[in-house]
Amino acid sequence: MSSRRSTGTPRITDEQIIELVSKLQQLLPELRNRRSNKASASKVLQETCNYVRSLHKEVDDLSDRLSRLLSTVDDDSPQASIIRSLINN
Amino acid sequence: MSPNEQPTSINPNANANALKIRLAYRFLHNLNNLNTKRSNLDNTRINRRSHRVKIAAYASMASVVGSRRAWSRSILWKIKKQGVLSRNKKRVDRVTSTLHRHHHVHLGSKRRSRNPKREYYVDPFGNSGQEVKLRKLVPGVEMMNACALLDETADYIKCLATQVEVMKTLVDLYSTI
Repeated sequence: MSSRRSTGTPRITDEQIIELVSKLQQLLPELRNRRSNKASASKVLQETCNYVRSLHKEVDDLSDRLSRLLSTVDDDSPQASIIRSLINN
Repeated sequence: MSPNEQPTSINPNANANALKIRLAYRFLHNLNNLNTKRSNLDNTRINRRSHRVKIAAYASMASVVGSRRAWSRSILWKIKKQGVLSRNKKRVDRVTSTLHRHHHVHLGSKRRSRNPKREYYVDPFGNSGQEVKLRKLVPGVEMMNACALLDETADYIKCLATQVEVMKTLVDLYSTI
C-alpha cells in the first residue's frame, strides 16, 4: 500500500475499510442475499457503481412518467385533492 | 429528527419509514411549486417538465438531508446555481439549453480549480478504476478519502433508493385514475 498519500490525517486502517465495505454490501440488493462477507471489495465497488447508475436511471424514468401523468391530472380530480391536503398539512 | 443519529440497529424499519415520509412530503411540496410556477406547458415541452421533476426529486432528497452530508450539499449548491442562472436570463427556451452547457462546463472548471496540481486520491483498493467511477457517480466526494467515500456512498444509496420508492408510489397513485 505504498500508494497511500500522507496528508496529515490519520491513516486509514484495513479494518475500517472492511467494515465500510461490508456495510455497503448490506445495502446492495444483489449481494445482500449472500449473507456472507465473501464478496470482495472490488465486487462490492463494482456492484455499488452499477446500483447507483441503475438508481439514477430509475429516477430519470420515473420523473419522465410522473411528468406525463401530472400533465393529465386536472385540478378537480380526487387524487389532486388528496395531494393538496397532504401538502397543506 | 435526524435518523443518522439514532441507533439504527434497534429499529431500522422505523427510521427508513421516517425518511420515506419526509422525502415524500418534501417531494410533493416541490412538485406543487413546480406546477404553480410554470403552468400552460404544452406537450412539446415534456422533456423540460420531466427534467424539472427530476430536479425536484434530487432537490427534495438533498434538502431533507440538509447540509449534513457532502453529497446533499453538492446537490443543493448545483441546483442553487441553476436557479440563479435561470433568474438572470429572461428567455425560458434558451435557459434550459444554456443551463446544460453551463452546468457541465462550470462543474468541470470547478473541479479543475480545486485540484490544480494534485491528482485524485489514489486507490487503496488496488482496483482498476472502480473507485474513480464511484467518485464520478456520487456527488460531492471528489476530495474525500476512501473511508469517507464509502460512508458517503452508503448514505447516498439509502436516500436515493428511498426517493425512488416515493416516486414509484406517486406514479402508482396517479396511474389509478
